[in-house]
Amino acid sequence: MSPHLEVVANESVATITVAALSKRFPNGTLAVDDISFTVPQGQVVGLLGLSGSGKSTLMRLINGLHNPTSGVIDVLGVDVGSAKPAELRDLRRQLGFIFQQFGLVGRATCLENVLIGSLGRLKGPRIGIRTYPKALRVMALERLDRVGLGAQAFQRAETLSGGQMQRVAIARSLMQEPKVLLADEPVASLDPESSNQVLDLISTIAREDGMTVLCSLHQVELAIGRTDRLIGLRDGKIVLDQLTAGINPDVVMDLYRRHGTSDEVREVSYA
Amino acid sequence: MSATVQERRTTPPLTPQYFLKIASLLAGLVAVWWAWNRLNMSVLSFFDDLQNVVNLFKRMSPPDFAETDRIISLTFETLWIALLGTFGAVILSYPLAIGAAANTTTHPTIRFVCRSVITLSRAVPELILAAIFVVAYGPGPSAGIVALALHSIGMIGRLFSDAIEEASEASSEAVTSVGATRRQRIRSAVIPQALPSFIATALFRLEINIRGSAVLGLVGAGGIGGLISESLETIQYKPALAAVIVVFFVILIVELVSTSIRQSLIGEAATQQQNKQRGWLSSFINRRDALLNKTAYEKRAISAPWTTERLFRASAFVFFVALLVFAITTVNIEWGNAIQSTPKIGTILGQMFPPSAGGEYSLMIKGLVESLAIAIVSTFLGVAVALPLAVLMARNINVRRSLSFGTRIGVLGLRGIPELIIAVIFVSAMGLGPVPGTLALSVTVAVFASKLFADSLEEINPAPREGVAAVGASKVQEFFSAVVPQFISPFVSNFFYLLDVFFRSSTVLGIVGGGGIGFLLISSIRVYQFKLTMAIVLSVYLIVLVIEWLGIGMRRLFK
Repeated sequence: MSPHLEVVANESVATITVAALSKRFPNGTLAVDDISFTVPQGQVVGLLGLSGSGKSTLMRLINGLHNPTSGVIDVLGVDVGSAKPAELRDLRRQLGFIFQQFGLVGRATCLENVLIGSLGRLKGPRIGIRTYPKALRVMALERLDRVGLGAQAFQRAETLSGGQMQRVAIARSLMQEPKVLLADEPVASLDPESSNQVLDLISTIAREDGMTVLCSLHQVELAIGRTDRLIGLRDGKIVLDQLTAGINPDVVMDLYRRHGTSDEVREVSYA
Repeated sequence: MSATVQERRTTPPLTPQYFLKIASLLAGLVAVWWAWNRLNMSVLSFFDDLQNVVNLFKRMSPPDFAETDRIISLTFETLWIALLGTFGAVILSYPLAIGAAANTTTHPTIRFVCRSVITLSRAVPELILAAIFVVAYGPGPSAGIVALALHSIGMIGRLFSDAIEEASEASSEAVTSVGATRRQRIRSAVIPQALPSFIATALFRLEINIRGSAVLGLVGAGGIGGLISESLETIQYKPALAAVIVVFFVILIVELVSTSIRQSLIGEAATQQQNKQRGWLSSFINRRDALLNKTAYEKRAISAPWTTERLFRASAFVFFVALLVFAITTVNIEWGNAIQSTPKIGTILGQMFPPSAGGEYSLMIKGLVESLAIAIVSTFLGVAVALPLAVLMARNINVRRSLSFGTRIGVLGLRGIPELIIAVIFVSAMGLGPVPGTLALSVTVAVFASKLFADSLEEINPAPREGVAAVGASKVQEFFSAVVPQFISPFVSNFFYLLDVFFRSSTVLGIVGGGGIGFLLISSIRVYQFKLTMAIVLSVYLIVLVIEWLGIGMRRLFK
């Protein structure tokens, strides 16, 4: 039994609280514009919106890779905006992060990549699998089994397919025994079949471990059936926030319809 | 389930490759240990050596600029030798490159011949070529110019032909489709595309050749190098330091100017510069150019108007031609005599065959082994110093900015001093022998390698680093888990490249008394034992080939 399973029942405990959050980049872009929402423990949230709508920035604000311009982010009781570097590192140990480009060390084996997930708990640098304690190595193998890649433990990560790489990245996050999983467009670089596999894996693990998940996506149909709640962003603002059950897909699709002049300008600038 | 996991192996399987890696690392350490003992190196005497160098600098300062006139005229001679040598190499390289490039050559045989000539011309160090040509031309800059010209073909020809091969096929096809001949196609479609790269290559080689021509004087081939070694040999330390300081600044200035021109021609900075359209000067230029274009259109002009860019290019061309004419007329060469002496090179070449070590066989082997030991130890020591320097220098590795900037400036400054000048200074401070030579070479390796390693570090993919940072790893953990694994492969190939380059360097250290095969090599030329010269040159080339071959194998193993 995972230690945090007992507290899953307490649905009212907030894991992530964002209040009046804004982020303006030095070049003047207002990426996140006065956003507020609360995610209770164990909820799986899908974050939808066009490219440039502020999804990635929001994720990076939550784990402290970016600093907010104004507003408050509270994650697991830590005020991310004012946290010291050491506090931030402590917090990051409890937050899994899945990247669109996987963020694996291609030359290292899958097992070593998974072991990297335990670095936050270890002191000092590690070079090679043998420098990690045996107990962690066994744990890493279990994590690889869980994502279905136990047989590839000693294969270099760069030899895997995109879907397999993302599963190794998920196993790496599991090494952290995270309370929260942030997934920044985890399937945007994958083919449809791998996308389904990876998202099924994320939602299954989330439910089994009672993890809170914030997962940004492009496709509405991928979110339905796998998430509890959908938050839609447009131009850095929340334009949709509903429970997934019984949601009308057309309402969600509206997020992706380009209307108004500002979108046309945006389209040109991306061309 | 978890019981079975306990029984499974948690360390990578021990493949033959794993043992091969361990074995080659051990072999490397054994080689360093052997070379270290062969040269009688000792860590304890480092401090004495350092003290000796410091003492020498004390005796050298303050620098004595009494002979400023001579220093200045020799500095200019150094510059003219480099300029004319590089120009000669460009003239010779152009047809060779056309013949060597796949898309412009006329026949596979021609291509093979051209490529072989280009490769061979790099095989002999320029200083050895210069010493041979001094026999033909007599002491003076002629020998230096010809040596630089021939040796530089190796790099210029190679990079020219690469640039030609990179030219887009589409424009060649378009020009061919209108019925153009092969030569018209080359002139109209290929050369315009390759020209910026040609100019950048020539400038880069000019930089290298200025460093090279500063030491040609050591074998009597003109330039400031003769003054430096002559002053040190006659214990006139203060004027020697004055000359070294002048060389240092001239090289630094040329390098800064040439780097900025090269960057405006090719690479990222060039595109950035073209996109930048701000400031009163560029707005004035834009308005002037727009007006000129408009007038030209209204007048139905049939030649391009003199826009700022065209003016700039034309004046750069005029400046360069003027410089060349000035160099040819002022350099201390009687061109008539020089041209008459050229056939002597053929005679000397004839005397080199068949190559044979004769009675000096054991001396030759001893010298070659010592050169190899010098190369191994100095590459090892230099790399050991260069690795931490490179970490400090790389802009993407998070250390203090001021520290990173300071290290880069320091390394850039030291890069300007030719290795043989450092060797001359060390030999004067510590006495003759392989130890000062090795230490001097180590300094050069450290400076050269830190730049190479820093460049490799800067090319590292940032995505894995972000992945490692996101799990809460510290900066040090991130460095060892995400940066080091990506650095291994470029490190191995750079290491063998360094060993290759500095083995060649170690073969000329003997010219200034720094040990190795260089002493026998230069003596053989001075006493006209050209068969021995050729035997040594061929042996050196053979060892270089072995190092290259070893490097290819190791690169594959540590991929």
